[in-house]
Amino acid sequence: MQPIRSYPAIQRLTSGRVWRSFFRHGWPDNPLDRSLVMTTNIFFHLHPVKVSLSSLRATYSFGLGIISVVLFGILTLTGVLLMFYYVPTVERAYVDIVELQTQVAFGQLMRNAHRWSAHLMVLAVVLHMTRVFYTGAYKPPREFNWVVGVILLLLTLFASFTGYLLPWDQLSFWAITVGTNIAGYAPVLGSTARAVLMGGQEVGQEALTRFYALHIMVLPLALTLLISLHLWRMRKDGGLAANEAPEAPDGG
Amino acid sequence: MVGKEEIFSQEPGKTYGLMAVVPAETRMADKGPEGTIFSFPLLALLELLLTLGTGLAVLLLSLARNAPLEELANPSVTTNPAKAPWYFVGLQEMLEHMHPTLAGVIIPTLLVGFLVILPYLDNDPTRAGLWFTSRRGRRVVGWTALYALIVMPALIGLDNAYNVREALRGVAPDIVAQWLVPAGVLALVVCVPVVVLRLSSGRGETSGATTREYVLALFTVMIVSSVVLTLSGFLFRGPGFRLYWPWLMPDGYNPLDSL
Repeated sequence: MQPIRSYPAIQRLTSGRVWRSFFRHGWPDNPLDRSLVMTTNIFFHLHPVKVSLSSLRATYSFGLGIISVVLFGILTLTGVLLMFYYVPTVERAYVDIVELQTQVAFGQLMRNAHRWSAHLMVLAVVLHMTRVFYTGAYKPPREFNWVVGVILLLLTLFASFTGYLLPWDQLSFWAITVGTNIAGYAPVLGSTARAVLMGGQEVGQEALTRFYALHIMVLPLALTLLISLHLWRMRKDGGLAANEAPEAPDGG
Repeated sequence: MVGKEEIFSQEPGKTYGLMAVVPAETRMADKGPEGTIFSFPLLALLELLLTLGTGLAVLLLSLARNAPLEELANPSVTTNPAKAPWYFVGLQEMLEHMHPTLAGVIIPTLLVGFLVILPYLDNDPTRAGLWFTSRRGRRVVGWTALYALIVMPALIGLDNAYNVREALRGVAPDIVAQWLVPAGVLALVVCVPVVVLRLSSGRGETSGATTREYVLALFTVMIVSSVVLTLSGFLFRGPGFRLYWPWLMPDGYNPLDSL
């Protein structure tokens, strides 16, 4: 089979001015251009030019970090679609969800995907943390990135928790009531923190407004910022810790 | 002097160095490019596969099962049971066994604090990137996991069958039953693996337990206990937040409906 780049159509496309304005490197079939793919592309530049084969082993990382980021992406996409149909008021929230499920094309599917991705993301983030711990990947120089990861875990839990209220059905109402009651048990600051979070003493319109603002704006922004920091630091700290691991682990 | 450029200065302040080639290991020994591969295209393809796989899993799950939607929220009708979202239901389970401030605030704060300071406690960078660090580390994790997997359900069952708080009501002040007893029991649960590791010093292939092994044991107690408490609260608590077998729930209550 001849290489793809040797087809005349491909050659004409990749040598054109438009193509070359997008990609500032040649066809990536040689070391230089494979390096340039990574360094000249914003989506790739967080990757090193070369990676160790040991860090690519599926049984080392299980891809859990990437899966978490992908789920966050799915949540962002489906979340924006849900926002097109949802108004966060006590009068409309529940009706909007029912209409979304029954009147909107693929509305039920959209909501399902958002909910299951949210649960899966909590699960993936916890498993990712467990993996990083048991492989000792938090050790120097990666201490601070582990702390960023702990904050990301808390943000993920909080993002899921604030979203739980939005359907405004019995399930969400009482789950949030139980959940926020736990926060209220904190000495001194507990009831204040709870009142600030909910805009009052009970779960009502004020709580819905605040949870909505946190869920669609504050927490996604904070997550985006900290995920960027998390990935950037991982790159600066030399990629996965497997890169430095001794060749023949005695633990197997 | 015009036209005559001085290349080698004869200034007396200048110093010279003598270089030599010495047969020795460089700092880059074993750190060369062996065993590495260009990120493009393999890593890019792996990430694409993970993206597609995750997307497919979410799509199939969404086709197979609808997100739950109950009746309109009604503050005057409490659901039975009323449960927190599944990732907080472990805390709700703990509320059944001790003072709410201890279960809902102090213990979670301690756990998050432990996670944050963990890399500063265990800061030995050797053997990072290896699962369980060593064979001994793997055994520490295995035995600690087994221990927590037995002790935590036993404690939940024991407190359910013989309620210490009820028994001590009127006999001892609230602080004993609500705070001292549960906190003491939990402290004991956490301390046992640490003491065992401490006593194991000198035995086995290493001399004395390393900080990493202590942290391995502590983290394992934490993660296994969290899983046990979450499963107990999510699957085994039915109406009235009482313990039932998940397949014998009364009133047609199905814990999975509240995901």
